[in-house]
Amino acid sequence: MSKRKAPQESPNEGITDFLVELANYEKNVNRAIHKSNAYRKAASTISKYPNKIRNGEEAKKLEGVGAKISEKIDEFLQTGTLRKLEKIRTDDTSSSINFLTRVTGIGPAAARKFFEEGVKTLEDLKKIEHKLNHHQQIGLRYFEEFEKRIPRSEMEQMETFIHEELKKVDTEYIGTICGSYRRGAASSGDIDILLTHPDYTSETEKQPKLLHAVVEHFESIGFVTDNMSKGDTKYMGVSQLQKSNEDEEEYLHRRIDIRLIPKDQYYCGVLYFTGSDIFNKNMRTHALEKGFTLNEYTLRPVGVTGVAGEPLLVDSERDIFEYIHYKYKEPSERSQ
Amino acid sequence: MPEIQLKHVVSCSTEDTAHKADNLLSSDTYRKWKAARSGEKQTSVILQLEKEEQVHSIDIGNEGSAFIEVLVGNSSAVRDQDYEVLLVTSSFMSPTESRNGTNMNRVRFFGPQQLQKTATQEKWDRVKIVCSQPYSKNIAYGLAFVKFHSPPDKNDPLPTTSPKLTKLGQFRVKEEPPSSAPSLQPGSLFFNRDHATKSTTSSKVSPQSPAPSSSLASPQPPAKRTFEFSKEQKSSSGPPPSKKSSPAISPEGKAAAPKPKPSPTGTPSSGTPKASPAQKSAEKNRESHSKPDPKPKQPKTSAQQVPFKRILEGVVFVLSGFQNPIRGDLREKAVDMGAKYRPDWTPDSTHLICAFANTPKYSQVKSAGGIIVRKEWVLDCHKKKQKITYKQYLMDGAESSSESEMEVDEQSEEEVSTKTPPKQQRQVTPKKTPEKKKDEDEYAGSTDVDEPGSGDDESAVDTEDELQRVEHESRQKKASSDVKVKQEDLFGGSTDENTDAEAEEDLPIPELPDFLRGKHFFLYGKFPNNERRLLLRYIVAFNGLIEDYMTEKVQFVVTSEGWHDSFEDALMENGNLNFVKPAWIYAINERQKILPYQPYSVVP
Repeated sequence: MSKRKAPQESPNEGITDFLVELANYEKNVNRAIHKSNAYRKAASTISKYPNKIRNGEEAKKLEGVGAKISEKIDEFLQTGTLRKLEKIRTDDTSSSINFLTRVTGIGPAAARKFFEEGVKTLEDLKKIEHKLNHHQQIGLRYFEEFEKRIPRSEMEQMETFIHEELKKVDTEYIGTICGSYRRGAASSGDIDILLTHPDYTSETEKQPKLLHAVVEHFESIGFVTDNMSKGDTKYMGVSQLQKSNEDEEEYLHRRIDIRLIPKDQYYCGVLYFTGSDIFNKNMRTHALEKGFTLNEYTLRPVGVTGVAGEPLLVDSERDIFEYIHYKYKEPSERSQ
Repeated sequence: MPEIQLKHVVSCSTEDTAHKADNLLSSDTYRKWKAARSGEKQTSVILQLEKEEQVHSIDIGNEGSAFIEVLVGNSSAVRDQDYEVLLVTSSFMSPTESRNGTNMNRVRFFGPQQLQKTATQEKWDRVKIVCSQPYSKNIAYGLAFVKFHSPPDKNDPLPTTSPKLTKLGQFRVKEEPPSSAPSLQPGSLFFNRDHATKSTTSSKVSPQSPAPSSSLASPQPPAKRTFEFSKEQKSSSGPPPSKKSSPAISPEGKAAAPKPKPSPTGTPSSGTPKASPAQKSAEKNRESHSKPDPKPKQPKTSAQQVPFKRILEGVVFVLSGFQNPIRGDLREKAVDMGAKYRPDWTPDSTHLICAFANTPKYSQVKSAGGIIVRKEWVLDCHKKKQKITYKQYLMDGAESSSESEMEVDEQSEEEVSTKTPPKQQRQVTPKKTPEKKKDEDEYAGSTDVDEPGSGDDESAVDTEDELQRVEHESRQKKASSDVKVKQEDLFGGSTDENTDAEAEEDLPIPELPDFLRGKHFFLYGKFPNNERRLLLRYIVAFNGLIEDYMTEKVQFVVTSEGWHDSFEDALMENGNLNFVKPAWIYAINERQKILPYQPYSVVP
């Protein structure tokens, strides 16, 4: 999941914006993930609501909007601002922590630690660069570039490029760029590739070679410029498209993640990493109701005593929907 | 590995008159156990072993089940929870195979590696086998055979020396050499549909490859007519998903399916001779079928003089399964008549207008107790400019078998109409000719049965009516439960929820299950429509206790209003409190067993 969500257009943008801001505050500063999720859920239902919300009472009828949020909506609609938000914004702690978490490699915990050490701005961070780990150093170096969203056209270019290059390494690789891009988003925060190979299943040994061969190939052609971490199954790094003759400007550096997934678990992974996370939650709930348990690896039937059964054979995303009697949704329909 | 002798059948959920559960006791593998009816969601059989034994391996021959689970227990075991899982729910047919009725007779061997360790180490004298088939409503499914083996004696010769022949109908299947057994991983059955094309050398999978099992399947052709239906359904819900991914299996399926080899003993319709007349009458004249309904018929439209803008006043509706332009059209028409639209089901919503019966919203609303109607309700109201009772447009009215058949008809009609929406739509709406009148009659004729007696339009009363009707119908069904038709509806993912409950009603006096025994409930806040009453009834029926006030005893607070701030305070007082949605209770009723409440928790 990228740290920067795409802005959404809806008649209630003002409301959803402040809800998202509150959600981020609860997550990053208070580390109250459930409160954060509550705000996000409310923001999500409100963004789907077709009419302009006139008062909190109207909003309260929507799922996920309770007394407290509807009060805030009323306050926002009547005064144009929210005292709580104003306080948060002027609050040094929260604004600094919120800012620091925008650097990749710095999460809520690290941000709080740095803040307590008096580090509040980008300049402060640069001064203590030696204290940062490798990942955070790269995050700092490319801070401005990583802040910029990747336009869909560039994502498409990268997708074709990646598919071509994968073929050069081994024709049997299967790669999918997941995330909001797959759901048709106009812009993306980063590139998230799910990779698999028929030789690699959950029954076989781990095969880091399959992942590393791809990364090394990307490095050799200059597509990958920096590595952040390279594990057996997950790679994190920085990529950049090579400037071609027609292009006027250089492409920016982009965050790239590559995950190697066993073939038999690939489509559960693709489903999971395509999201949206709220769609995933709903789908899992539905699966449970139908007597299945679904996670990012497998889909399994649940027995009469609640014991999960053997992983079901999944050969496409559609298979998963079919097993659990869920109407198939194209990736573009999963942005709820 | 000596085979464990089976002593007798302790109980089974249902059994076919021809294919009794007792058949499992004999080693003749062509004699199988099948459920009495097709379309049951789950069936189970409990077998008594000759003596207490450790179970080392299991061989299972399938008969149309999608999943099979094996549990072990002792004679004292009563409830599900008293059994321990020996073989986790394992897949025997994929959804596509289930719908097409192909590869119904897979045989799988489960060695000690595939069984649950803890359960294999103890001795048991009872096994419970649970089969389920959620993907097809027209297979009466069960088991072809099941064999249990105890651990091999140390001084026993290796079983490889005597390859045992398993008789399966006219076929003899050679048991595979045990050396290859460990390679049989869960799911590998289907997995080889990928490899079958590539790996010609993989002898280890070949005994499990679809080829032999589909040949086993061939003497068991599925109901031919419904096969047509399932294809239609598939094409309407998008391209067949596994078509491209399983090139190896599809020719197999085609080869097996169209083989017109009707085996008289195989089809349950011949086993229950009453079925065929019922089938015919159901197909041919629905009207005559509707006559047994003792309730007096009501005029089709209860005309009321209401201003156009207020025809649907008080209706808060949600749409499901419609695409634009129909979606927009429906919404506009309903809103014009004074109804309110909601994008998603909310506690104040009253009606779900649904295109077909298996949408996510459909199940959501069904469990929330909302009214589910077809789009014609809105269109007809709009056309006639008067409020027509929604009852004749109910979508979930099909609780009894006779009705579920009609649902097939209606829905296939609808399928057609959704497939060619512009044509149908345009024809029906603007033209005011006798021809159109006929159209309506057709609809009305097929739905008449759904009409309950009362002409009252108050929605609260309706719900009660509904309840009575459902009860009445299930009673009716009980009486004619043996008049069963193989071709149950395929589309009604909807109607099956009740089959479990009805299956239980085969007993002369239905006993109320006490899933909620010892649990204390408190209903908080407002509930839409008549939900409160319904909830109370369910909870009491399942032996749960209702507290009038928020006392210390309360363990579960049921609310349909979402999180309330006072809940936090209540939690402070009593840490054992759980806040749950009404959907939990409904789900328990639907599944007829206690379910974990966590998925239905209300959270802040």
